[in-house]
Amino acid sequence: MNCCSMNILLLPIVIPLAAGVLTLLLPRALKGVKELLALVATGATLYYAWVLFQAGEDVRLLVPWTSFGIDFDLYAPHFARFILLAAAGFQILLTLYSTSFMSGKWRSKEFFAYLLITAGMTNGAVLSNNFIVLLFFWESLLVTLYGMISIGHKGAHPTATKAFIISGAADFLMFLGILLAWKISGTFTMSEIHLDSHGLGAAAFVLMSLGAMAKAGAMPFHTWIPDAALDAPLPFMAYLPAALEKLLGIYMLGRISLEFFTIHMNSPLSIFLMSLGAITIVFPVLMALVQKDYKRLLSFHAISQVGYMILGIGTGSAIGIAGGLFHMLNHAMYKCTLFLSGGSVEKQTGTTDLSKLGGLFKAMPITALCFWVAALSISGVPPFNGFVSKEMVFHGAWETGHPIFAVAAWLGAIFTFASFLKLGHSSYFGKRSLDMPTQKPRESGLAMLIPMLVIAGGCILFGVKSEIPLKHFIEPILAGKPVVEGPMEFWHHAYDINWIVGVSMGCLLIAFLLHLYGFAKSGGKAHLASEPVHNLPVAHKLYDWAEADVFDMYNWFFNKTIRGSAAAIYVLIDRGIDALYERFMIWVGQLGIGRLKEAHNGVYANYLAWVIGGFVLVAWVLVSAAAR
Amino acid sequence: MNWEFLVLATVLIPVLGSFTVPLAGLLSRPLRNAWAVLLGLATTACAMALIPTALADTPHVFTHAIGFGLDVIFVVDGLSVFVASVSSFISTLIIIYSLGYIKEYDYQQEYFMMVVLFLGGMMGLVFSANLLLMYVFWEITAICSWRLVGFFRDREIVLKADKTFLTTFGGAVFMLLGFVMVYMRTGTFNLLEMRGFPLRGWEILFITMGIFAKSATLPFHTWLPDAGVAPTPVTALLHAAVLVKIGVYAFARIFNFTFAVPMDWQFYLMLLGLISAIVSACAALMETNIKRLLAYSTISQIGYIFMGLAAFNVIGITGGLLFILMHGLAKAGLFLAAGVIEHGTGSKDITKMGGLMKHMPLTGVAFLLCIFSIIGIPPFGGFFSKLMVIQGVIQSNHLVIACLAIFTAILTTIYLLRLFTLVFLGEPRDASIHAHHEGTPVMVWVVVASAALSLAAGFLVKYPMDLVGVALTDILGNPTVQGILGQ
Repeated sequence: MNCCSMNILLLPIVIPLAAGVLTLLLPRALKGVKELLALVATGATLYYAWVLFQAGEDVRLLVPWTSFGIDFDLYAPHFARFILLAAAGFQILLTLYSTSFMSGKWRSKEFFAYLLITAGMTNGAVLSNNFIVLLFFWESLLVTLYGMISIGHKGAHPTATKAFIISGAADFLMFLGILLAWKISGTFTMSEIHLDSHGLGAAAFVLMSLGAMAKAGAMPFHTWIPDAALDAPLPFMAYLPAALEKLLGIYMLGRISLEFFTIHMNSPLSIFLMSLGAITIVFPVLMALVQKDYKRLLSFHAISQVGYMILGIGTGSAIGIAGGLFHMLNHAMYKCTLFLSGGSVEKQTGTTDLSKLGGLFKAMPITALCFWVAALSISGVPPFNGFVSKEMVFHGAWETGHPIFAVAAWLGAIFTFASFLKLGHSSYFGKRSLDMPTQKPRESGLAMLIPMLVIAGGCILFGVKSEIPLKHFIEPILAGKPVVEGPMEFWHHAYDINWIVGVSMGCLLIAFLLHLYGFAKSGGKAHLASEPVHNLPVAHKLYDWAEADVFDMYNWFFNKTIRGSAAAIYVLIDRGIDALYERFMIWVGQLGIGRLKEAHNGVYANYLAWVIGGFVLVAWVLVSAAAR
Repeated sequence: MNWEFLVLATVLIPVLGSFTVPLAGLLSRPLRNAWAVLLGLATTACAMALIPTALADTPHVFTHAIGFGLDVIFVVDGLSVFVASVSSFISTLIIIYSLGYIKEYDYQQEYFMMVVLFLGGMMGLVFSANLLLMYVFWEITAICSWRLVGFFRDREIVLKADKTFLTTFGGAVFMLLGFVMVYMRTGTFNLLEMRGFPLRGWEILFITMGIFAKSATLPFHTWLPDAGVAPTPVTALLHAAVLVKIGVYAFARIFNFTFAVPMDWQFYLMLLGLISAIVSACAALMETNIKRLLAYSTISQIGYIFMGLAAFNVIGITGGLLFILMHGLAKAGLFLAAGVIEHGTGSKDITKMGGLMKHMPLTGVAFLLCIFSIIGIPPFGGFFSKLMVIQGVIQSNHLVIACLAIFTAILTTIYLLRLFTLVFLGEPRDASIHAHHEGTPVMVWVVVASAALSLAAGFLVKYPMDLVGVALTDILGNPTVQGILGQ
């Protein structure tokens, strides 16, 4: 290890952090400086991430921090270098986009500062090789999460609080899981931890993976995301829930299931992950289907798609895991593009309400094009990137011998495509709505279009030439891991015709027909195309409950259950003890004093009797002591 | 300067100096203020000047025989110097803050005298290695707390002050009984001579009653929220710097450092800490008075300290001691910010506040940062102390307690964010509450300094850890702690 390789691990953390702190200190009057600073900082980060990725060696930086095995330990194996490179790419593109989108917005200086600090903390979490250093960066993200949501608008703070509490609770679960892993292994050094998943190990696995999945936005830790879609500044959605949190959460889940523990096909832990993945696919996508707001619809997909990644990793088969990890990268790309297209629409039309949009293709052709590339990618239409990774997940799920998981994944595919047909149709095609706040929308500026075009181009490239990401990014992660049997040349079969692809194409067809039916049924209003599903007898009631947050863990657990129990404990125990002091002790005291007072009645003989009695008592004690 | 001079100065400067404060006040008010701050600074400087002595290998002991068991024995080791430095530093911050807060009230002479004497009592207690001497200083602080809680002379408030005094004094009487029982078996009050002596159940129970009453731990805790009627800097002093930390220190000195505690009692003590933490966290969720809420938060966090110390292993004790510093900084910041809020709005009812961020941005941001530290969010200092406490609990194999401690941390998140939201965000809920200004600059800067120090303590955690590490090498001489390590 030489001095340069040491520095290069620190740079992707320190550069954005320093720039972020500097941005906070900048005077408000300086125009354009914060944007320039942010671009330079994220550009430098990307450069060093690229150098690090190219270097191809596992560099490490180990500096003692404090006692008990807590060392400042950074290490960059292939997996971390890949995630760092991807994260750095999103960081600069989102910064570029924000320079235009956030210009003139409320508290935009803070936005850039949080964006940069988040970048530094994320990069730190990716590179850390000591669990405490990991927690240090990982949990620090809570602070900027809270900040970024609360600057959305004046009433955004309840959502920020909700996000903070849910994510904070999940982080504490991970914290506990890490301490359990430490209890078993006796070390915090991540590269040295390889544990059995039995007994305490299983508990550690579940807690750590819950923490990782919560970061990625899986159920039941997802409920703040749709709220944030409406309240937070839009680039935040593309930045964290769509891109960085997915990368970070799934990166950690990947390391937990491949490295710290080994997940075997059909082991209880594998079933646990797959079940959580399947649930996370199905329910949010059903919610997404009936949404009538551009951003909120996307946010439910940001949850649903995590299900594919978790399902893929949970299969324990090489193709499934590779598919899950590839899907993570693909999702970050297309979901980012989708949110950015939403931001473009919001900026130009002044609304994201689907009933007020329509016919934007002509006015905003590039935004529309990018949207459709990303929408077809997320729906798993060939030849875009989402198709390849989803097929790999379907294969992996089928290999486990539990068809239910593959069925859940296909079900998700139907509704994903249906909801994107609805979204795309109602905003870009059809007639322009008269309710649109800006009646003459124009195409957005280059700063917003370039990020969308770059990522949408990536979606096509990674679909058509899927061997590039698979060979350079994904396969080295799996190389040498016990789950891999035989050669991993997934891309050879990416476009093979087999019955699994047939089923997937069938799902797409069903979705298309569903949309046509709904469109016809609603009288040509594309944003109502999902109403036939929405109005199914039982479904309607469930949808109403879901919209009223009945299923929201934040609502029933963090609000109602905890508040109720706290009230009971407060009244019964705390106030009970206080009553002992305030009532019982005073009553006892008064009772005793009352009796003693009665002894003071002023009668001489009475006092004499006390004196003689006392004298007798003392004499008796002395005499009996002397006699002994 | 040699260490003997320094340790005597650390104790005597505030104890004797406190009586000169009212004399200075007779001359002039600014002189008195400056003199009080100077006494605090001098004490802090002397305590911190002892750090190099503490970092040396062996503990330094100052002995001056008087007889009757009341020999003056001062021990200068990692534990005493750490606690003394933290307490005196935070106390001095609070004295500086008081200059702004207290200037419009009566009885300022008494106020400054009592605060400095309080600090002196704490310093004496911390360095004492003689149980009787400890008890004497213990009661000096009780008297000071009684006068300071009852600073405003309304009948209601004086009654609360009596409750404070009676509860802590009642506990201390039991503790004295415990000390006497120990004396009956050992024939000495000198802690250094009793190291490794195995305590019996009753002795532990009685001593613990004194400790818990002073540290406001369940079931002796309800005086602390009631003591919120005191002026805010006093509350901060009680919570962050001196009073409740006395019990914690005594726990470390008596149970961790000196005596051997049987295994089952280690578990009971940890359990009591946990119950105290959970119950008071629930109470904090229900409270609407900002100072009562913060008081319950203190009780809850003190529960963590006891959990860490009662783990009787190196990590747990380190976490517990580090917690004294981290909690002290952040909680001082919260209370002092509460004082700014109370000054600005004239109310303590958080359900009537709202939207104060607009009028007091600096206080608001500092408040939020202190909250993050109390919750245990990195990069703030509170992260490391909470981490090590729970790590210690896990190492001692009490996994269920660790899980519930994590749950309590989640409760902490909920109630503190609720507090912040109600006070600083949204729209004002009551027309009569409107703060047009921040506090005086001195007050606000002390609040900001607490927040900044909480943040710095996270990045620079190495330095307090080094001092705690020395305290641990001293404690490691105790067979209880060694026995656990040997397992």
